[in-house]
Amino acid sequence: MSENKSETVSSVVDNYQANDELFEELLNDSELSATWGRYHLMGDVMRGENSDVINLELSSQIAAAIADEPTILAPRTANNFTSKVKAKVVQFAKPFGQMAIAASAAGLMVMGVQQNAVDSNDALPITQVVKPIPLGGIAEPVSLNFQPNSRTSEKQAFVEQQRRFQALLSDHQQQIKLSSVDVNNTLQQEKAEEPAK
Amino acid sequence: MKLISSLLLMVSISTSVAAAENEPAEPWLERLANSLQTLNFSTSFVVVKNNQAEPYHWFHGVDESGDELEILSLLNGPRRDVLRKKNTVSYIEPELPPYSVTSQQISGPIPAILRGDVGKLAQTYDFISVGRSRVLGRPAQLIRIVSKDPYRYGHWLWLDQKTGMLLKLALVNRTGQLLEQIQFTHLDITSELGESLVQLQQTTLPKTIEIPEGYQEQKLQWQVNWLPEGFARINANRHRISATKKPVEFMLFTDGLIDVSVYVNPSDGNQRATDYVMDGATAVLNQVINGFEVSVVGKIPAKTAKAIADSVVLTPQVAP
Repeated sequence: MSENKSETVSSVVDNYQANDELFEELLNDSELSATWGRYHLMGDVMRGENSDVINLELSSQIAAAIADEPTILAPRTANNFTSKVKAKVVQFAKPFGQMAIAASAAGLMVMGVQQNAVDSNDALPITQVVKPIPLGGIAEPVSLNFQPNSRTSEKQAFVEQQRRFQALLSDHQQQIKLSSVDVNNTLQQEKAEEPAK
Repeated sequence: MKLISSLLLMVSISTSVAAAENEPAEPWLERLANSLQTLNFSTSFVVVKNNQAEPYHWFHGVDESGDELEILSLLNGPRRDVLRKKNTVSYIEPELPPYSVTSQQISGPIPAILRGDVGKLAQTYDFISVGRSRVLGRPAQLIRIVSKDPYRYGHWLWLDQKTGMLLKLALVNRTGQLLEQIQFTHLDITSELGESLVQLQQTTLPKTIEIPEGYQEQKLQWQVNWLPEGFARINANRHRISATKKPVEFMLFTDGLIDVSVYVNPSDGNQRATDYVMDGATAVLNQVINGFEVSVVGKIPAKTAKAIADSVVLTPQVAP
Protein backbone atom coordinates (compact mmCIF):
# COMPACT_ATOMS: atom_id res chain seq x y z
CA MET A 1 0.00 0.00 0.00
CA SER A 2 1.43 3.32 -1.00
CA GLU A 3 1.64 6.40 1.22
CA ASN A 4 -0.46 8.23 -1.31
CA LYS A 5 -3.34 5.81 -0.99
CA SER A 6 -3.43 5.82 2.77
CA GLU A 7 -3.48 9.61 2.55
CA THR A 8 -6.57 9.48 0.40
CA VAL A 9 -8.11 7.04 2.86
CA SER A 10 -7.39 9.57 5.59
CA SER A 11 -9.03 12.35 3.63
CA VAL A 12 -12.06 10.14 2.96
CA VAL A 13 -12.35 9.40 6.66
CA ASP A 14 -12.22 13.13 7.40
CA ASN A 15 -14.89 13.76 4.78
CA TYR A 16 -12.65 15.95 2.63
CA GLN A 17 -13.00 13.89 -0.52
CA ALA A 18 -15.90 11.71 -1.25
CA ASN A 19 -16.52 10.17 -4.69
CA ASP A 20 -17.69 6.72 -5.74
CA GLU A 21 -14.43 5.81 -7.40
CA LEU A 22 -12.52 6.09 -4.18
CA PHE A 23 -15.12 4.17 -2.23
CA GLU A 24 -15.07 1.47 -4.86
CA GLU A 25 -11.30 1.20 -4.58
CA LEU A 26 -11.52 1.11 -0.80
CA LEU A 27 -14.03 -1.68 -0.80
CA ASN A 28 -12.08 -3.77 -3.28
CA ASP A 29 -8.71 -3.43 -1.60
CA SER A 30 -8.84 -5.36 1.65
CA GLU A 31 -5.73 -3.63 2.96
CA LEU A 32 -7.13 -0.22 2.30
CA SER A 33 -10.43 -1.06 3.90
CA ALA A 34 -8.57 -2.31 6.97
CA THR A 35 -6.70 1.00 7.06
CA TRP A 36 -10.01 2.80 6.76
CA GLY A 37 -11.32 0.79 9.68
CA ARG A 38 -8.22 1.52 11.78
CA TYR A 39 -8.47 5.27 11.09
CA HIS A 40 -12.06 5.27 12.25
CA LEU A 41 -11.11 3.35 15.36
CA MET A 42 -8.37 5.91 16.09
CA GLY A 43 -10.87 8.69 15.70
CA ASP A 44 -13.28 6.92 18.03
CA VAL A 45 -10.62 6.38 20.64
CA MET A 46 -9.49 9.99 20.43
CA ARG A 47 -13.03 11.14 20.92
CA GLY A 48 -13.34 8.77 23.82
CA GLU A 49 -15.97 6.54 22.24
CA ASN A 50 -15.96 2.78 21.98
CA SER A 51 -12.72 2.45 23.89
CA ASP A 52 -13.73 -0.89 25.40
CA VAL A 53 -13.49 -2.43 21.98
CA ILE A 54 -9.70 -2.18 22.06
CA ASN A 55 -9.46 -3.13 25.68
CA LEU A 56 -11.13 -6.38 24.99
CA GLU A 57 -8.79 -7.11 22.14
CA LEU A 58 -5.67 -6.17 24.14
CA SER A 59 -6.64 -8.30 27.10
CA SER A 60 -7.26 -11.29 24.91
CA GLN A 61 -3.90 -10.75 23.25
CA ILE A 62 -2.14 -10.46 26.59
CA ALA A 63 -3.88 -13.57 27.78
CA ALA A 64 -2.62 -15.34 24.68
CA ALA A 65 0.88 -14.05 25.30
CA ILE A 66 0.78 -15.29 28.86
CA ALA A 67 -0.41 -18.64 27.68
CA ASP A 68 2.69 -18.81 25.50
CA GLU A 69 4.96 -17.90 28.40
CA PRO A 70 5.97 -21.14 30.27
CA THR A 71 9.26 -21.55 28.40
CA ILE A 72 10.73 -18.70 30.46
CA LEU A 73 10.60 -20.82 33.63
CA ALA A 74 13.21 -23.17 32.32
CA PRO A 75 16.35 -20.98 32.65
CA ARG A 76 15.59 -20.39 36.36
CA THR A 77 16.96 -23.74 37.32
CA ALA A 78 20.25 -22.86 35.69
CA ASN A 79 20.41 -19.69 37.79
CA ASN A 80 19.85 -21.66 40.97
CA PHE A 81 22.72 -23.88 40.11
CA THR A 82 25.23 -21.06 39.77
CA SER A 83 24.10 -19.40 42.98
CA LYS A 84 24.57 -22.70 44.82
CA VAL A 85 28.14 -22.89 43.61
CA LYS A 86 28.69 -19.30 44.69
CA ALA A 87 27.39 -20.02 48.18
CA LYS A 88 29.94 -22.75 48.58
CA VAL A 89 32.77 -20.45 47.60
CA VAL A 90 31.57 -17.81 50.06
CA GLN A 91 31.53 -20.31 52.88
CA PHE A 92 35.05 -21.37 52.15
CA ALA A 93 36.28 -17.77 52.11
CA LYS A 94 34.35 -16.76 55.22
CA PRO A 95 37.05 -16.80 57.91
CA PHE A 96 39.20 -14.43 55.90
CA GLY A 97 36.23 -12.40 54.83
CA GLN A 98 35.12 -11.97 58.42
CA MET A 99 38.45 -10.59 59.45
CA ALA A 100 38.36 -8.15 56.63
CA ILE A 101 34.85 -7.20 57.62
CA ALA A 102 35.88 -6.86 61.27
CA ALA A 103 38.72 -4.57 60.29
CA SER A 104 36.57 -2.45 58.07
CA ALA A 105 33.86 -2.38 60.72
CA ALA A 106 36.39 -1.08 63.21
CA GLY A 107 37.36 1.58 60.71
CA LEU A 108 33.73 2.45 60.21
CA MET A 109 33.24 2.69 63.95
CA VAL A 110 36.05 5.17 64.28
CA MET A 111 34.61 7.18 61.44
CA GLY A 112 31.12 6.68 62.80
CA VAL A 113 32.09 7.98 66.20
CA GLN A 114 33.48 11.12 64.67
CA GLN A 115 30.47 11.49 62.46
CA ASN A 116 28.14 10.99 65.39
CA ALA A 117 29.98 13.48 67.48
CA VAL A 118 29.59 16.10 64.84
CA ASP A 119 25.95 15.26 64.37
CA SER A 120 25.07 15.30 68.00
CA ASN A 121 27.01 18.50 68.51
CA ASP A 122 24.77 20.10 66.04
CA ALA A 123 21.73 18.97 67.93
CA LEU A 124 23.11 19.82 71.33
CA PRO A 125 22.21 23.46 71.71
CA ILE A 126 18.59 22.63 71.08
CA THR A 127 18.10 19.24 72.66
CA GLN A 128 20.10 19.78 75.78
CA VAL A 129 18.26 22.85 76.86
CA VAL A 130 16.21 21.79 79.82
CA LYS A 131 12.83 23.49 79.66
CA PRO A 132 13.03 26.65 81.68
CA ILE A 133 10.55 27.50 84.38
CA PRO A 134 8.27 30.39 83.22
CA LEU A 135 9.77 33.84 83.36
CA GLY A 136 9.87 35.48 86.73
CA GLY A 137 10.41 32.15 88.43
CA ILE A 138 6.87 31.91 89.78
CA ALA A 139 6.06 28.43 91.03
CA GLU A 140 3.58 26.59 88.84
CA PRO A 141 0.17 25.84 90.34
CA VAL A 142 -0.15 22.15 91.07
CA SER A 143 -3.25 21.23 89.11
CA LEU A 144 -4.00 18.86 86.32
CA ASN A 145 -6.16 21.48 84.62
CA PHE A 146 -3.48 24.11 84.69
CA GLN A 147 -2.07 25.07 81.32
CA PRO A 148 1.67 25.42 81.88
CA ASN A 149 2.38 28.55 79.87
CA SER A 150 1.57 29.95 76.54
CA ARG A 151 3.84 29.18 73.65
CA THR A 152 5.00 32.75 73.19
CA SER A 153 6.24 33.18 76.75
CA GLU A 154 8.03 29.85 76.48
CA LYS A 155 9.67 31.04 73.30
CA GLN A 156 10.57 34.32 74.94
CA ALA A 157 12.14 32.54 77.88
CA PHE A 158 14.11 30.38 75.47
CA VAL A 159 15.39 33.37 73.50
CA GLU A 160 16.25 35.16 76.73
CA GLN A 161 18.14 32.11 77.95
CA GLN A 162 20.05 31.80 74.68
CA ARG A 163 21.04 35.45 74.91
CA ARG A 164 22.17 34.94 78.49
CA PHE A 165 24.31 31.96 77.45
CA GLN A 166 25.84 33.88 74.56
CA ALA A 167 26.69 36.81 76.82
CA LEU A 168 28.27 34.50 79.40
CA LEU A 169 30.31 32.69 76.77
CA SER A 170 31.78 35.85 75.28
CA ASP A 171 32.43 37.33 78.72
CA HIS A 172 34.21 34.12 79.75
CA GLN A 173 36.52 34.43 76.75
CA GLN A 174 37.04 38.12 77.46
CA GLN A 175 38.01 37.49 81.06
CA ILE A 176 40.47 34.78 80.07
CA LYS A 177 42.21 37.28 77.81
CA LEU A 178 42.38 39.86 80.57
CA SER A 179 43.63 37.44 83.19
CA SER A 180 46.10 35.52 81.06
CA VAL A 181 49.00 37.12 82.89
CA ASP A 182 51.31 34.22 82.38
CA VAL A 183 49.39 31.32 83.78
CA ASN A 184 52.57 29.32 84.01
CA ASN A 185 53.85 31.40 86.87
CA THR A 186 50.70 32.13 88.81
CA LEU A 187 49.42 28.59 88.81
CA GLN A 188 51.57 27.33 91.63
CA GLN A 189 51.32 30.47 93.76
CA GLU A 190 47.60 30.80 94.27
CA LYS A 191 45.41 28.04 95.52
CA ALA A 192 41.71 27.56 95.05
CA GLU A 193 39.52 28.33 98.02
CA GLU A 194 39.52 25.26 100.22
CA PRO A 195 38.78 22.56 97.70
CA ALA A 196 36.23 19.92 98.72
CA LYS A 197 34.87 20.15 102.22
CA MET B 1 39.42 -21.43 62.51
CA LYS B 2 37.40 -18.42 63.64
CA LEU B 3 38.78 -18.67 67.14
CA ILE B 4 42.35 -18.78 65.93
CA SER B 5 41.93 -15.82 63.66
CA SER B 6 40.28 -13.69 66.35
CA LEU B 7 43.02 -14.69 68.79
CA LEU B 8 45.62 -13.65 66.27
CA LEU B 9 43.85 -10.34 65.83
CA MET B 10 43.78 -9.72 69.57
CA VAL B 11 47.42 -10.59 70.01
CA SER B 12 48.46 -8.32 67.19
CA ILE B 13 46.46 -5.43 68.64
CA SER B 14 47.78 -5.84 72.16
CA THR B 15 51.40 -6.06 71.03
CA SER B 16 51.12 -2.90 68.97
CA VAL B 17 49.56 -1.07 71.91
CA ALA B 18 52.29 -2.29 74.22
CA ALA B 19 54.95 -1.16 71.80
CA ALA B 20 53.48 2.33 71.64
CA GLU B 21 53.09 2.57 75.38
CA ASN B 22 56.77 2.05 75.94
CA GLU B 23 57.51 5.35 74.29
CA PRO B 24 57.22 8.18 76.83
CA ALA B 25 54.96 11.09 75.91
CA GLU B 26 56.66 13.88 77.85
CA PRO B 27 59.61 14.37 75.45
CA TRP B 28 57.08 14.84 72.65
CA LEU B 29 55.29 17.58 74.58
CA GLU B 30 58.56 19.27 75.47
CA ARG B 31 59.49 19.22 71.81
CA LEU B 32 56.13 20.75 70.93
CA ALA B 33 56.62 23.57 73.46
CA ASN B 34 60.08 24.23 72.10
CA SER B 35 58.85 24.28 68.49
CA LEU B 36 55.99 26.65 69.32
CA GLN B 37 58.44 29.06 70.95
CA THR B 38 61.37 28.97 68.59
CA LEU B 39 60.25 28.11 65.07
CA ASN B 40 59.33 30.56 62.36
CA PHE B 41 56.10 29.13 61.11
CA SER B 42 53.14 30.11 59.03
CA THR B 43 50.17 27.85 59.42
CA SER B 44 46.41 27.62 58.98
CA PHE B 45 43.98 25.63 61.02
CA VAL B 46 40.28 25.09 61.26
CA VAL B 47 38.37 24.80 64.51
CA VAL B 48 35.51 22.37 64.01
CA LYS B 49 32.68 22.45 66.53
CA ASN B 50 28.87 22.42 66.44
CA ASN B 51 29.06 21.35 62.82
CA GLN B 52 30.77 24.62 61.97
CA ALA B 53 34.30 25.40 60.88
CA GLU B 54 36.25 28.49 61.92
CA PRO B 55 39.38 29.01 59.85
CA TYR B 56 42.43 30.74 61.33
CA HIS B 57 45.81 31.92 60.14
CA TRP B 58 48.63 31.68 62.60
CA PHE B 59 52.11 33.15 62.19
CA HIS B 60 54.94 32.91 64.65
CA GLY B 61 58.53 33.94 64.50
CA VAL B 62 61.55 35.06 66.47
CA ASP B 63 63.30 38.26 65.39
CA GLU B 64 67.03 39.07 65.44
CA SER B 65 66.96 40.19 69.07
CA GLY B 66 65.27 36.95 70.13
CA ASP B 67 61.82 38.46 70.71
CA GLU B 68 58.80 36.45 69.72
CA LEU B 69 56.27 37.77 67.22
CA GLU B 70 52.90 36.19 66.72
CA ILE B 71 49.72 36.81 64.73
CA LEU B 72 46.52 34.84 65.03
CA SER B 73 43.58 35.91 62.91
CA LEU B 74 40.13 34.52 62.32
CA LEU B 75 39.46 34.45 58.60
CA ASN B 76 35.65 34.28 58.52
CA GLY B 77 33.23 36.93 59.67
CA PRO B 78 34.19 40.14 61.42
CA ARG B 79 37.91 40.63 61.97
CA ARG B 80 39.34 39.12 65.11
CA ASP B 81 43.09 39.44 65.27
CA VAL B 82 45.50 38.77 68.05
CA LEU B 83 48.96 40.30 67.76
CA ARG B 84 51.85 39.65 70.07
CA LYS B 85 55.20 41.29 70.40
CA LYS B 86 57.16 39.59 73.15
CA ASN B 87 55.20 40.48 76.32
CA THR B 88 52.45 42.56 74.79
CA VAL B 89 49.36 40.93 73.39
CA SER B 90 46.82 43.01 71.45
CA TYR B 91 43.28 41.99 70.72
CA ILE B 92 41.43 43.50 67.78
CA GLU B 93 37.78 42.56 68.03
CA PRO B 94 34.48 43.96 66.76
CA GLU B 95 32.96 44.31 70.24
CA LEU B 96 35.64 46.50 71.80
CA PRO B 97 38.14 49.13 70.75
CA PRO B 98 41.57 47.50 70.26
CA TYR B 99 43.50 46.96 73.47
CA SER B 100 46.67 45.31 74.68
CA VAL B 101 47.49 43.36 77.78
CA THR B 102 50.80 42.38 79.24
CA SER B 103 51.14 38.67 78.75
CA GLN B 104 53.45 36.14 77.20
CA GLN B 105 50.75 34.14 75.54
CA ILE B 106 47.85 34.78 73.29
CA SER B 107 44.49 33.44 74.29
CA GLY B 108 43.01 31.55 71.38
CA PRO B 109 41.68 28.15 70.46
CA ILE B 110 44.99 26.45 71.24
CA PRO B 111 45.71 26.07 74.96
CA ALA B 112 48.57 28.36 75.96
CA ILE B 113 50.11 25.70 78.21
CA LEU B 114 51.23 23.73 75.15
CA ARG B 115 53.97 26.29 74.64
CA GLY B 116 54.86 26.23 78.32
CA ASP B 117 55.80 23.57 80.84
CA VAL B 118 53.28 20.80 80.37
CA GLY B 119 54.92 18.99 83.28
CA LYS B 120 52.89 21.24 85.58
CA LEU B 121 49.81 19.32 84.54
CA ALA B 122 51.28 16.00 85.64
CA GLN B 123 49.40 16.06 88.96
CA THR B 124 46.01 16.01 87.33
CA TYR B 125 46.66 14.61 83.87
CA ASP B 126 48.34 11.55 82.43
CA PHE B 127 50.34 11.82 79.21
CA ILE B 128 50.04 8.80 76.98
CA SER B 129 51.80 8.15 73.74
CA VAL B 130 49.33 6.19 71.67
CA GLY B 131 50.79 5.57 68.26
CA ARG B 132 51.49 6.87 64.82
CA SER B 133 49.22 8.04 62.08
CA ARG B 134 49.23 10.36 59.11
CA VAL B 135 47.99 13.91 59.55
CA LEU B 136 48.40 16.82 57.14
CA GLY B 137 50.33 14.52 54.84
CA ARG B 138 52.99 13.97 57.45
CA PRO B 139 53.77 11.09 59.79
CA ALA B 140 52.38 12.14 63.16
CA GLN B 141 52.63 10.94 66.75
CA LEU B 142 49.39 10.81 68.73
CA ILE B 143 49.73 11.94 72.34
CA ARG B 144 46.80 11.95 74.72
CA ILE B 145 46.51 14.23 77.71
CA VAL B 146 43.99 12.39 79.83
CA SER B 147 42.51 13.60 83.09
CA LYS B 148 43.11 11.36 86.09
CA ASP B 149 39.60 12.03 87.37
CA PRO B 150 36.34 11.77 85.42
CA TYR B 151 35.54 15.49 85.68
CA ARG B 152 37.46 16.68 82.63
CA TYR B 153 37.78 15.99 78.92
CA GLY B 154 40.79 14.47 77.27
CA HIS B 155 43.01 16.35 74.83
CA TRP B 156 44.40 14.38 71.91
CA LEU B 157 47.36 15.88 70.13
CA TRP B 158 48.84 14.82 66.80
CA LEU B 159 52.41 16.05 66.58
CA ASP B 160 54.63 16.21 63.52
CA GLN B 161 57.36 13.59 63.86
CA LYS B 162 59.86 15.76 62.05
CA THR B 163 59.37 19.15 63.68
CA GLY B 164 57.28 18.39 66.77
CA MET B 165 54.68 20.89 65.60
CA LEU B 166 51.00 20.52 66.41
CA LEU B 167 49.05 19.11 63.44
CA LYS B 168 45.74 18.33 65.05
CA LEU B 169 44.08 18.71 68.42
CA ALA B 170 40.88 17.06 69.55
CA LEU B 171 38.78 17.33 72.70
CA VAL B 172 37.25 14.02 73.52
CA ASN B 173 34.95 12.96 76.35
CA ARG B 174 35.35 9.84 78.50
CA THR B 175 33.44 7.65 76.09
CA GLY B 176 35.66 8.67 73.18
CA GLN B 177 33.15 11.00 71.58
CA LEU B 178 34.71 13.88 69.74
CA LEU B 179 33.49 17.28 70.94
CA GLU B 180 35.72 19.76 69.22
CA GLN B 181 38.78 19.61 67.04
CA ILE B 182 41.43 21.77 65.53
CA GLN B 183 42.77 20.52 62.24
CA PHE B 184 45.80 22.18 60.71
CA THR B 185 45.44 22.58 56.99
CA HIS B 186 48.87 23.86 56.04
CA LEU B 187 52.22 24.30 57.73
CA ASP B 188 55.28 26.15 56.50
CA ILE B 189 58.42 26.31 58.55
CA THR B 190 60.94 28.88 57.35
CA SER B 191 64.33 30.13 58.48
CA GLU B 192 63.35 33.75 57.89
CA LEU B 193 60.58 35.81 59.47
CA GLY B 194 57.36 35.78 57.47
CA GLU B 195 56.31 38.93 55.64
CA SER B 196 53.37 39.70 57.92
CA LEU B 197 55.59 39.33 60.96
CA VAL B 198 58.08 41.81 59.51
CA GLN B 199 55.13 44.18 59.11
CA LEU B 200 54.12 43.53 62.70
CA GLN B 201 57.61 44.54 63.82
CA GLN B 202 56.97 48.04 62.49
CA THR B 203 53.44 48.53 63.82
CA THR B 204 52.71 50.12 67.14
CA LEU B 205 50.34 48.07 69.22
CA PRO B 206 47.29 49.66 70.87
CA LYS B 207 47.57 51.02 74.39
CA THR B 208 48.10 48.50 77.15
CA ILE B 209 45.24 48.25 79.62
CA GLU B 210 46.38 48.98 83.12
CA ILE B 211 44.65 46.58 85.43
CA PRO B 212 44.44 48.28 88.84
CA GLU B 213 46.35 46.65 91.65
CA GLY B 214 44.14 44.21 93.52
CA TYR B 215 41.37 44.35 90.94
CA GLN B 216 41.76 40.67 90.21
CA GLU B 217 41.90 39.64 93.86
CA GLN B 218 38.76 41.20 95.25
CA LYS B 219 37.06 39.81 98.32
CA LEU B 220 33.71 38.42 97.25
CA GLN B 221 30.88 37.38 99.54
CA TRP B 222 30.75 33.83 98.29
CA GLN B 223 33.02 30.94 97.56
CA VAL B 224 33.25 27.86 95.42
CA ASN B 225 33.51 24.86 97.68
CA TRP B 226 34.19 22.22 95.10
CA LEU B 227 36.34 22.10 92.00
CA PRO B 228 38.13 19.15 90.45
CA GLU B 229 41.66 18.58 91.73
CA GLY B 230 44.30 20.98 90.48
CA PHE B 231 42.22 24.10 89.87
CA ALA B 232 43.55 27.38 91.22
CA ARG B 233 41.90 30.78 91.24
CA ILE B 234 43.56 33.35 89.02
CA ASN B 235 40.97 36.10 89.06
CA ALA B 236 38.19 37.37 91.34
CA ASN B 237 36.49 40.60 90.44
CA ARG B 238 33.28 42.54 89.98
CA HIS B 239 32.46 43.68 86.46
CA ARG B 240 29.63 44.19 84.04
CA ILE B 241 28.99 41.62 81.34
CA SER B 242 29.64 43.62 78.18
CA ALA B 243 26.73 42.24 76.17
CA THR B 244 24.00 42.68 78.79
CA LYS B 245 25.56 45.35 81.03
CA LYS B 246 24.56 43.22 83.98
CA PRO B 247 26.80 43.57 87.06
CA VAL B 248 28.28 40.25 88.19
CA GLU B 249 30.74 38.90 90.68
CA PHE B 250 33.23 36.71 88.96
CA MET B 251 35.92 34.14 89.65
CA LEU B 252 38.18 32.50 87.12
CA PHE B 253 39.89 29.21 87.84
CA THR B 254 42.40 27.28 85.81
CA ASP B 255 44.01 23.89 86.08
CA GLY B 256 46.69 25.00 83.65
CA LEU B 257 44.98 23.50 80.63
CA ILE B 258 41.37 24.64 80.89
CA ASP B 259 39.70 27.70 82.38
CA VAL B 260 36.46 27.74 84.31
CA SER B 261 34.49 30.91 85.02
CA VAL B 262 31.98 31.21 87.86
CA TYR B 263 29.51 34.10 87.90
CA VAL B 264 27.24 35.04 90.80
CA ASN B 265 24.66 37.83 90.76
CA PRO B 266 21.32 38.57 92.40
CA SER B 267 18.39 37.52 90.23
CA ASP B 268 14.90 38.96 89.75
CA GLY B 269 13.33 35.58 90.25
CA ASN B 270 13.76 33.33 93.21
CA GLN B 271 14.28 29.98 91.49
CA ARG B 272 15.07 28.84 88.00
CA ALA B 273 15.85 25.28 87.01
CA THR B 274 19.35 24.41 85.88
CA ASP B 275 19.81 24.96 82.21
CA TYR B 276 22.86 24.55 80.02
CA VAL B 277 24.13 24.56 76.46
CA MET B 278 27.25 23.14 74.88
CA ASP B 279 29.34 25.19 72.48
CA GLY B 280 31.62 22.47 71.17
CA ALA B 281 33.32 21.34 74.36
CA THR B 282 32.44 24.49 76.29
CA ALA B 283 29.56 24.10 78.70
CA VAL B 284 27.55 27.16 79.73
CA LEU B 285 25.42 26.38 82.77
CA ASN B 286 23.04 28.66 84.57
CA GLN B 287 20.73 28.31 87.57
CA VAL B 288 18.93 30.48 90.10
CA ILE B 289 18.71 29.30 93.68
CA ASN B 290 17.31 31.40 96.52
CA GLY B 291 17.39 34.58 94.49
CA PHE B 292 20.99 34.19 93.32
CA GLU B 293 21.97 33.38 89.79
CA VAL B 294 25.01 31.13 89.48
CA SER B 295 26.61 30.50 86.10
CA VAL B 296 29.55 28.28 85.19
CA VAL B 297 31.39 28.41 81.87
CA GLY B 298 34.28 26.22 80.76
CA LYS B 299 35.50 23.28 78.72
CA ILE B 300 34.20 20.81 81.26
CA PRO B 301 31.41 18.22 81.17
CA ALA B 302 27.99 19.61 82.13
CA LYS B 303 27.97 17.33 85.19
CA THR B 304 31.15 18.92 86.48
CA ALA B 305 29.76 22.39 85.79
CA LYS B 306 26.61 21.48 87.74
CA ALA B 307 28.65 20.22 90.68
CA ILE B 308 30.68 23.44 90.71
CA ALA B 309 27.53 25.58 90.53
CA ASP B 310 25.94 23.62 93.37
CA SER B 311 29.00 24.08 95.55
CA VAL B 312 28.78 27.87 95.51
CA VAL B 313 27.87 29.16 98.97
CA LEU B 314 27.37 32.69 100.20
CA THR B 315 29.73 33.56 103.01
CA PRO B 316 28.27 35.70 105.80
CA GLN B 317 29.22 39.32 105.46
CA VAL B 318 32.11 40.32 107.70
CA ALA B 319 31.59 43.64 109.47
CA PRO B 320 33.86 46.28 107.96
